[in-house]
Parts: sequence; C-alpha cells; structure tokens
Amino acid sequence: MGWAWLLLTVATYPWLLAADLASDTVASSSLVVFISGVCLVAPCRRLRRWQAVLLAAGIGFLFEARRPVPDGALALTLVTVAIFLTSQRSLLRHTPGMLRAAVIVNMLGCLSWFLAAAAVAPVTEADTLWLGIVQVGLAGLAGLLIFLPLALTQNAVMDRLGVPPPPTTNS
Amino acid sequence: MDQNRQGARASYVALAIFVALWALAPSAVRRFNREAFVEFQAPALHLLGKSRDLATFWEKKSRSTEELTAAGRDLARINAALEIKLQAMDDVRRENVRLREITRYAVPAEYLSVVARVATRDSSSWWQRIVIRKGRNDGIRPGAPVVFGNTVVGRVTAVHLTTSEVDLVTSPGFRCTAYLEGDDQNRIVLVNGVAANSLGTAKARVSVIPHDYGMPSGQPTRVFTTGMGGVFPSRLILGYLDGGTSATQVSNFRESLLLPSRDLYNLQEVSVLVPLQQNPGEALMQVDQFQ
Repeated sequence: MGWAWLLLTVATYPWLLAADLASDTVASSSLVVFISGVCLVAPCRRLRRWQAVLLAAGIGFLFEARRPVPDGALALTLVTVAIFLTSQRSLLRHTPGMLRAAVIVNMLGCLSWFLAAAAVAPVTEADTLWLGIVQVGLAGLAGLLIFLPLALTQNAVMDRLGVPPPPTTNS
Repeated sequence: MDQNRQGARASYVALAIFVALWALAPSAVRRFNREAFVEFQAPALHLLGKSRDLATFWEKKSRSTEELTAAGRDLARINAALEIKLQAMDDVRRENVRLREITRYAVPAEYLSVVARVATRDSSSWWQRIVIRKGRNDGIRPGAPVVFGNTVVGRVTAVHLTTSEVDLVTSPGFRCTAYLEGDDQNRIVLVNGVAANSLGTAKARVSVIPHDYGMPSGQPTRVFTTGMGGVFPSRLILGYLDGGTSATQVSNFRESLLLPSRDLYNLQEVSVLVPLQQNPGEALMQVDQFQ
C-alpha cells in the first residue's frame, strides 16, 4: 500500500504530541523528551525502503519545525538510519534486537539535533559534553520505555493497512 | 541478498545527492518546508491548549458555593482597592501629558496588547521557548515583546498563521539592555540568555555591571528594561539578580546571573505588545484588523 507511510506518520503523531506534552511538563529542567528515533524502528521492519525513508523524513521534519534546529539535521539523520535498518532487517528480527535498535536510534537522533542546535546556538561558552550526556541519556531511557507500546500501536496500524508481515529471511 | 545491498547502496547515493541539493536549495524552499510542518501541527497544539482550558474550567466548576462566594468577596475587595489606584493613576497620566507638552517630548512607540494563551512550553540547553495560540492572523509580528503584567516574558521569534514562538528571557538567543535597581546614574547593563544546565533552572546573564555599583541591601535587586532599541517599553521588570556580582576578565566590569521574576514555565496567558508604529521594511496591520 503506497500511502502506508503517510497514514503511519499520522497514526504516530499522537505519540509525538504526547512526547511534546511530557517535554512541556519537564520544561523547567531544560530537557526535551525525544522519541522520534523510536518511531522508526518497528515500521522499518515491515515497510519498503522508500516508504521508511519518507516516514523518517516526515517524523524528523515534524520535530524540527517548532525548534531552532538547522533544517534537515534530524530528518536526514533519520533517513540514513531508515536506509540502514531496512537493509539490515535481520537486526530487527527479535524483540531484544528491536529494543536495542530503538535505544540506539533514539540516542543517535537526539545527538544529531543536539549537536546541530549547539552549532547554531548563540552561546559562546557551555559545557556541551555534560549537557549532551544528560539529554542523550534521557533519550535512551525514553526509547527503552516507550518502544513496546509504540511498536504495538504501529504494528496494529500496519496490519489494518495491509502491510505485509516482516520477511523471515534477511532481504 | 546482493540485490538488497545494491538497493541500499543506491539509496545512500540518492541520499547524498539529496543532501547536496538540500544544502544548495534556496532558503525559501527550506522555509516553506518548515512552515508546512508547523501548520500541520498547529491544530493539534490548539486542541491541546483548549483541552487544558476545558480541564481547568471543569476543575473550577466543581468548587463548592462557599469557596466561590469567598473568592467573589476577595475579588470585590481587590476591585475596590484597584479603583482607588486607578483614580490616582489618572492624575499621574494627566500630569505626564502636561509635562510632555511643556518639554515637547517625543512620545515613544505605543503598543497594542494582544492577549494570548500558552499552548506548549519547550526547553532544552539551546533554547527556552513557549508557543502561544495567536499568530499572523491576530496581528502578531516577529520581534514583538511578550509580557505578563509588568514582567518581561520574552520576545516573539517566529510567527505562523495561528501560532507564534516566543523566546524566553533565559533563552540563549535573548538580548536586551537594562538598568539595575539602586543605580542612581542609570548605567546600562546587558542581559543575555545562557545555555541552561540540564535539570537546573534556566537563568540569564547580566554583564557590564559597573565595578562601583552597590547592590541595595535587604532585598533582591530588580533589573529593568531601558526602553532603548525600541523593542521593550522602559521600566518593565526583567528579573532579579541572583546572589552577588562576580569579577570578569575586563577589570572595570562585573557580572551576575538573572533570575526571572516569575516562573516562566507556569504561565497560562501572556500579552504580546505589538508596536503600532511601523518598523522599517515591515508591513503593518491596521488596528481594526486585530481580533
């Protein structure tokens, strides 16, 4: 189904909105609850590569739209990850592997926007390493906690849309 | 398997070409893309804000009659006190107008206050901002000051159709000039946001504090806007100096941290002060276009 990526983006959006709400709640601690990377893992197991790429770009641009992050920094990182994951589906065959991928992809995505935002931020002095460790650590934790319910939702949507189940071989 | 690897390789090449095109694309393309994704999210943000308002409404509706009566009585007392203050203010205003006429003082830019509800707050080390539920359609313009009462909240940085993004006083992109309380010579200091420590309270930095400045004792030192530069009206409170001042590498000056006078992350409503006078290169909406 050609439009599965778009419908899946719309179906994933409430989770992104919930993450924004959580960011709103913890705003006084200068942290962002980031889950855009996690949203990519379960669909990459079943969608075709071009569909996964469009989904990744959409999710990335949704995050960047309201934040002073250089255009495309996160979206293009997620697209690269989507290409990698769809070409290495064997890594996503089992739940532990997917969970590991969710944490790594989410931390990688978080690192990309954090560094890109740091590069354009009008700040002359900052302990970027410490600030980054806390933010990326939170992203990893969020990835771990949110992955299973998010993957369940996304799989249910993909079932409804008639997306074929993941292949058993590495293809 | 080879086919899969070849497909992946082709995808990486296509991505590299796209990245190059993206970097070379005119900024209008990237701006259009950003605007499209912002407008896609705008209805959800409005819904979020309105759901919050609805929850507050029902929470207030569930209060007992006794509580509401007591609140009404308190409000009536406050109203009575404010009416007296209002009359006093009217006298001051008349005196102010008379003095301006005598001295032929040029009246500074007047502002139209647009009240807006806060939709969401978003904060990281590199930005501290809120999204408000008023935008271009309501006459909000980039650069307009955002206040709550006589306290500066921040400045509008991006305006969309029905929402706007506001950089808070503590955001690294925020800069303005200020006066310190207790400085009789009204020497100008500089306020700018700093990268916030994760898990810590965001603060701004007050720099270029004269070496001989003495802080008033027994109370936190307030920091006021100067009104210079035409962005913020004068004598609005930016916040308080956090602790004492410290020496800098430039020996004549000291610096300190600024603590916002309100909890900026708990605001439900703010006022955007839209200047009525047109800035150069800016299309100005007429007053009757404001909703």
